[in-house]
Amino acid sequence: MANQETKMNSGWADQDHVPGIKSELMELNMGPQHPATHGVLRLLLETDGEIVHKCTPVLGYLHRCAEKIAEGINYKQFVLYTDRFDYLAPVCCNHAYVTAVEKLMDVEVPERAEHLRVITAELSRIASHLIALATFGLDMGAWTPLLYCFREREAILDLLERIAGGRMLYNFFVPGGVRYDVPDEKWTADVLEFVTMLETKKVKDYNQLLSYNKIFIERLADVGVISQQDAFDYGSTGPVLRGSGVSFDCRKDDPYSVYPKFDFEVPVGRGEMGTVGDCWDRYMVRVREIEQSCRIIRQAVDTMPGGEVHAIGLTKPVKLPAGAAYSRTESSKGELGHYIISDGGQMPFRNKVRSPSFCNLQIIEKIGVGQMVSDLVAFIGSLDIVLGEIDR
Amino acid sequence: MEQKAIYEKLVEKFGEGALGFLEEGPEPVADIAPQKIAEAALYLRDEAGLEFDQLMCLSGLDWDGFDENGKGKSVAILGYDVGGQPETSDRVGEGDLGVAYHLYSHGQRHKFTMRVRVPRTAPTLPSVAGVWSTAGWHEREAYDLVGITFEGHPDLRRILLEEEWEGHPLRKDYVMPDRWGQVPLDGKNLAKNPFPATEPDPSGSAPAAPTED
Repeated sequence: MANQETKMNSGWADQDHVPGIKSELMELNMGPQHPATHGVLRLLLETDGEIVHKCTPVLGYLHRCAEKIAEGINYKQFVLYTDRFDYLAPVCCNHAYVTAVEKLMDVEVPERAEHLRVITAELSRIASHLIALATFGLDMGAWTPLLYCFREREAILDLLERIAGGRMLYNFFVPGGVRYDVPDEKWTADVLEFVTMLETKKVKDYNQLLSYNKIFIERLADVGVISQQDAFDYGSTGPVLRGSGVSFDCRKDDPYSVYPKFDFEVPVGRGEMGTVGDCWDRYMVRVREIEQSCRIIRQAVDTMPGGEVHAIGLTKPVKLPAGAAYSRTESSKGELGHYIISDGGQMPFRNKVRSPSFCNLQIIEKIGVGQMVSDLVAFIGSLDIVLGEIDR
Repeated sequence: MEQKAIYEKLVEKFGEGALGFLEEGPEPVADIAPQKIAEAALYLRDEAGLEFDQLMCLSGLDWDGFDENGKGKSVAILGYDVGGQPETSDRVGEGDLGVAYHLYSHGQRHKFTMRVRVPRTAPTLPSVAGVWSTAGWHEREAYDLVGITFEGHPDLRRILLEEEWEGHPLRKDYVMPDRWGQVPLDGKNLAKNPFPATEPDPSGSAPAAPTED
């Protein structure tokens, strides 16, 4: 059954330790209900003892064919489906979609709406990164940071609930603006207060609890190293690409919305604990991005102008001129792009979604090979995938 | 480098393999002959000055019933009717299938978009998975949902749907299924509650399981 040619030298199966006794590769089914696979990801492993020989992801458990649905509903209706792609950072997904629609539509979005978009998207990004830290720590056996991270995420959900009405899925953006203005003056003050608290206290807490914990570092340094070349080849984006030492962020390098107005840095992996591009680097990029998001939010709140929040009436249908365009934005997981082909009507002829998790996960077929099964769990955690976005 | 200049280089290299360049619209796009696409991709990746090291997006397309006049009169896709039954149509799908490639170069910081069209009767074109590994899954998705076959792909299987699935959902003439395995997918059957409320049993024992009618 085992393919003798594909065996590697690192394990037991191909070594003749006991003459006359042959060993075989074992097939191990990891998922789809395995807690360490972050959703309904199923991995079909061929293992030799503890060593992974082949890793085949099996996808599609959450497939709804949102791209087909998009062809049957109008542009405004589809915003709420984008919420369901990356349900941990739904506002970022909204942002990607409306950016794509507006690229074709050529509408001028009010400045205030752009600021609100940036504020809510960055809050959502922080929430998503907090989940990434929390569950990653959980995978590595650290229970406590989960409770800390969820506490702060709860505060973000409260803030987003006050402005958008929902706690998990917001449907907050519309082509041409956002649905609601800030509920009251106190909201912006609360956002600033939360951001300050996160920057000055909480990130330090996470670093002390998790990031610079000796056990945590030992577990992650030099594990699952993605080289820069591999990252490009496999189309990795977001923290996975930046963890490999590449300074690329769509907010900076292919700017959209009002991000060029704000001053922030793009953290990259530097191999502080081991090799550039290991699991710890990818993890640490997310922690540092939380701080940078806080900076962006503060500037966006401070410079927010007054005025309208949507350029097109909320009940007015949107009609796009004929044309096709690919537009990409930086979601919390990486480059989230939409390729929209319009035939001039109210519904897209085609809306292809390029989701970052889909592209980031593929590299597991290469990097997963030769690792221990327990390191594979660390590797999946460090990729920070969301299956709603992979399966769409 | 400007997209137009990149296209000129492709014309220089491949001659008739480069079919045209559309400059108008929100995004310039080059049309490439399908049989040349893998060579063109390799050239775009390796040629000094172009260096497209990332395939941002690969989209399978179905141009069936596309309204070229830009009036929004494209053929509407088939869904379910009011009664929950799949809609059907006598129309036969006839438009071309296609693939769009969106490339980006991290070194040169430029983008390029190219498109190919393949006939619906023989939707086959060379795979670019050997050029950019990320195309592996994207091409599997295009094969799965649009039904385009990529020659030379290392592992061309369905990726999101199961192997036994019939048809390719993103084709414009795709008829929605009325069952999925043993599960009926029409609205009528779903309207009937599969878990009817049971009468509370005065004796206090567990309620009987609902029986088949």
